[in-house]
Amino acid sequence: METVGIGMSIPRKEAWDKVTGTAKYNNDYIIPGILHAKLVTSTYAHATIKSIDTSEAVKAPGVQAVLLGKDNSVLTGTIIRDCPPIAIDKVRYYGEAVAVVVADSEQEAMAAAKMIKVEYEPLPVVNSVKEALTPNAPLVHENLHLYKLADENIYPEANTNISHRVKIRKGDMAMGWAESDVVVEGSFYLPQTDHLAMETRNARTQILSDGQVMMASATQAPFEVKELIGNDFNVEEGMIDVKTPLVGGAFGGKAAVHLETLAYIASKAVDGRMVKIVNTREEDFITSPCGIGLEAKLKFGATKKGLIKAAEITYMLDSGAYADICPRMAKAMAVDCTGPYNIENLSCDALSVYTNHPFVTSLRGFAHICYAFCIERIMDKLAFTLGIDPLELRLKNAIGPGHTSPTQVKTTLSNTGDFKKCLEKLRNLMNWNEGNRIIQDNNKVRVKGIGCFWKTSNSPTDAESGAILTFNKDGSINLNCGAVEYGPAMKTTLAQILAERMNMDVKRIRVTMEVDTKTSPRHWKTVASMTTFMLGRAVLNAAEDIKRQLCNIAGIVLKCEPEELEVAGERVYLKDDPSNYVDFKDIVHGYKLPNGNAIGGQIIGRGSYVMKHLTKLDPETGQGRPGPAWSVGAQAVEVEFDMKEYTYRVIKAATVVDAGKVINPKSARGVITGGMSMGLGKATREEFKYGKDGAVLNTSLRTYKVIHYGQQPEYVVEFVETPQIDAPYGARGIGEHGTIGIPGALANALSLAVQVDLDQLPLTPELIWKTKTGGNT
Amino acid sequence: MIPFDFDYYRPDSIQEAVKIYEELDTQGKQPLYYGGGTEIITMARTHNIFTKALVDLKGIPECNVLEFRNDQLVIGSTVTLTQIFESRKFPLLGDIGSRIADHTAQCQITLGGNIAGTIIYRETVLPLLLSSSQIVIANESGQKQVSLHEVFNERLQLNPGEFIVQVITDKIYTTLPYVHVKKTKYEKIDYPLMTVVAVKKDEKIRIAFSGLCSFPFRSMKMENALNENSQLDVRINNALSHLPTSILNDISGSDKYREFVLRDTLINTLKTLEGVGLC
Repeated sequence: METVGIGMSIPRKEAWDKVTGTAKYNNDYIIPGILHAKLVTSTYAHATIKSIDTSEAVKAPGVQAVLLGKDNSVLTGTIIRDCPPIAIDKVRYYGEAVAVVVADSEQEAMAAAKMIKVEYEPLPVVNSVKEALTPNAPLVHENLHLYKLADENIYPEANTNISHRVKIRKGDMAMGWAESDVVVEGSFYLPQTDHLAMETRNARTQILSDGQVMMASATQAPFEVKELIGNDFNVEEGMIDVKTPLVGGAFGGKAAVHLETLAYIASKAVDGRMVKIVNTREEDFITSPCGIGLEAKLKFGATKKGLIKAAEITYMLDSGAYADICPRMAKAMAVDCTGPYNIENLSCDALSVYTNHPFVTSLRGFAHICYAFCIERIMDKLAFTLGIDPLELRLKNAIGPGHTSPTQVKTTLSNTGDFKKCLEKLRNLMNWNEGNRIIQDNNKVRVKGIGCFWKTSNSPTDAESGAILTFNKDGSINLNCGAVEYGPAMKTTLAQILAERMNMDVKRIRVTMEVDTKTSPRHWKTVASMTTFMLGRAVLNAAEDIKRQLCNIAGIVLKCEPEELEVAGERVYLKDDPSNYVDFKDIVHGYKLPNGNAIGGQIIGRGSYVMKHLTKLDPETGQGRPGPAWSVGAQAVEVEFDMKEYTYRVIKAATVVDAGKVINPKSARGVITGGMSMGLGKATREEFKYGKDGAVLNTSLRTYKVIHYGQQPEYVVEFVETPQIDAPYGARGIGEHGTIGIPGALANALSLAVQVDLDQLPLTPELIWKTKTGGNT
Repeated sequence: MIPFDFDYYRPDSIQEAVKIYEELDTQGKQPLYYGGGTEIITMARTHNIFTKALVDLKGIPECNVLEFRNDQLVIGSTVTLTQIFESRKFPLLGDIGSRIADHTAQCQITLGGNIAGTIIYRETVLPLLLSSSQIVIANESGQKQVSLHEVFNERLQLNPGEFIVQVITDKIYTTLPYVHVKKTKYEKIDYPLMTVVAVKKDEKIRIAFSGLCSFPFRSMKMENALNENSQLDVRINNALSHLPTSILNDISGSDKYREFVLRDTLINTLKTLEGVGLC
């Protein structure tokens, strides 16, 4: 028997389709008669719309409709309903949609879009978080206090640019400072960046004559699409169907509902005809949401021996012009605000702040890159001040069993993993004991830096998943669930979990790659590194369900009690005599007796999972349980730095993560390695740059730079396996984690190299030169 | 998607190309000569270029030459950067081309397109300026062969309807010792923070720059300063005082930082070409 279950590196189920180019993504389907929508976008970051002249465009060849903001006065938003699908009266960011043209062809839509003349009157621009929080700053949303809230735990501050504030208050700050022998402080800055999925965001919609809304979207959240569209436009949810095939990379950027709304109103404007909208790369950069920026202030106190006694933290998130999920990212940063360190006296404020930058949504790590950068830099500053080795300082303060998290959840080995073990493993991998600053020839110095992480999820307290199992006549199983496959092979992972529980060959488990909200059981969203945990649990429930049914019918066939039976290799057999068995294929669609009578009928398995014990946070102290568990890890980079030119080369990047249990070693390494690569991109070169007027200056891949093939350092990935008791086979989420600690690690290495604090990203040679020399030639 | 229709012509001869262009121009079609198309395609899709007709030069035999004739290297204007690099006929020019954009684009970008394009860097012109190359230009009255110095001032000064047929370089220049340094902000595949190209000819250093100012240039005054018989830092300071215009200050880098990088690069360049200890 070829039992292939967990712990095996099998190729992903869709591997052949992907490598041969057969795999189909949402925009690969050519549909006769489909209409094309194109956007006219704002050329100002903040301006009143004085007039929009569409007279030429509506007469242009092929044009079916021209939509303006006033045509749809609805306000959308997953947390705060602050966002008109098309700008009304004023624009709040450079790239915001001000009109939508629907035409017979993409070319005609583009040509007509060019004919629309918009007259603006510029308003004062809020061009940074700092400016947004200045007293009497211009308001991005004058009517913030009037907006409807889609989430009851949100506290927008009227007549400010603050859409939400999360407070963490733990322990006794006065005592903490009193016990501290040293205090270190720092201010940090991270720019907004982009997701850069290969497949740009796209969606299409058709409204049938009976009112059914047929949508297809490259989304991580097909169920959220239908729920939000249903709410926003008062359509019965069951009338909306969202289909999502394979998605070409997502990184959180496809968790937001954005183009789907535009596709819906566009289709509505042309009597329900099918309309598609596909971002160009430039639109994907600035019109659709990007990733957050951050300004932060941290102050840590510690004893001479290096025990952290107090921490005061302010994280100010640049949400851009609309809130989208940013308030929840503020919460996510707050609940993990200390990094994987035990800090008993803690005060943290995390603010979601409006600016006139492009609006943001989740981006791999859900804001954890930002907090980790600040914390890991502070840890190194502290280590330097105290003269303690940075790795030892982290070990001394490592979170562990019996501690509490910032929101006062008791940490255990099961819910947190073994951070110390990760650090010890990293010490060996990086040959840490040889020293972390080694002078070479030719003005070069070789340096190492550490960056660590922990991350829990911040789902709704009732986030859920479901799985349905059906059988083919030959006894193989079909697995249908609502997770979107956008790259990390999660459906293969789920097949492995199922194969393990059924004790059968994973090749005989067929997974449904596409999601159809009408036929797939609801899965909250494919985000937060929670697919293996949540859907794994649902799949295990479904497996137990079919095992029970299989044993019931097999008990009749084999004339015994179901408890006396075991399942393996697509057979049900007697535990005390495995040679006495019945094959799946003979019972899964009913068992036919020799005389032709049939009994049992088709076996269909179902399993579901809903989050347990999660609570809201207390608004004053933050006390509460945000997620089921954490994943912890330690990362490091090794860099060769040129002390004369201020240039550098990353030689090696390493991650040790407590994965709980590694389901598919090669996939897991791939996901962590990809994460490190993305982290290096953010650390070294990615950033949106703005003019004084708030306009984005680098709106294309000509000037927004990402890491390329051929530029990768050596990557090392190692695992620690401390099971999370309530997770499938103990497996923890690892999807995002490879990115989180890398920017901090690089900044630590370079700060050590150049002997000056580097507290912002990206770490360009010019930044290093300027920080070190003051910028004088 | 390119949001407008255009006619496409692929003439077989120089005369035909010039004639078609002229006719299309008369018809008001705002024709463009077409080489590799990387600029035209990418800029047309964002409404930054408009034309109703393209005249593709790749079918013209003279534009596809890449060979030594007597003691001269003749390179046709539609020869790609990859072809030049792989031929190793002019290693410096090949190396420069191999650092423009990425490999996929290098297989499309042509020498003529890089010299005559709208993107300001035009790095392939640097070694040609140092080699006092000749350039063959076609126009309605035939062809003319002129010194690049005569027609290149900040950018190639072509009249409407003219196109580059070939670039001709004395063989001697293809074998000179050279330095090619391309500095970027950080990412390797990027526009130059600055590209510095230098050769040594008759014991004198010739040097040209791209990305340093808003146009590529070779400056005789700077070369004279650098070739003086004095301390390295004096020579460099002198050379910097002869910059043709202010140093670029943009999202690739500030002017101050560019100056820092320039000084360092000049030191390394001079040391390399002069041999250590000469300074």
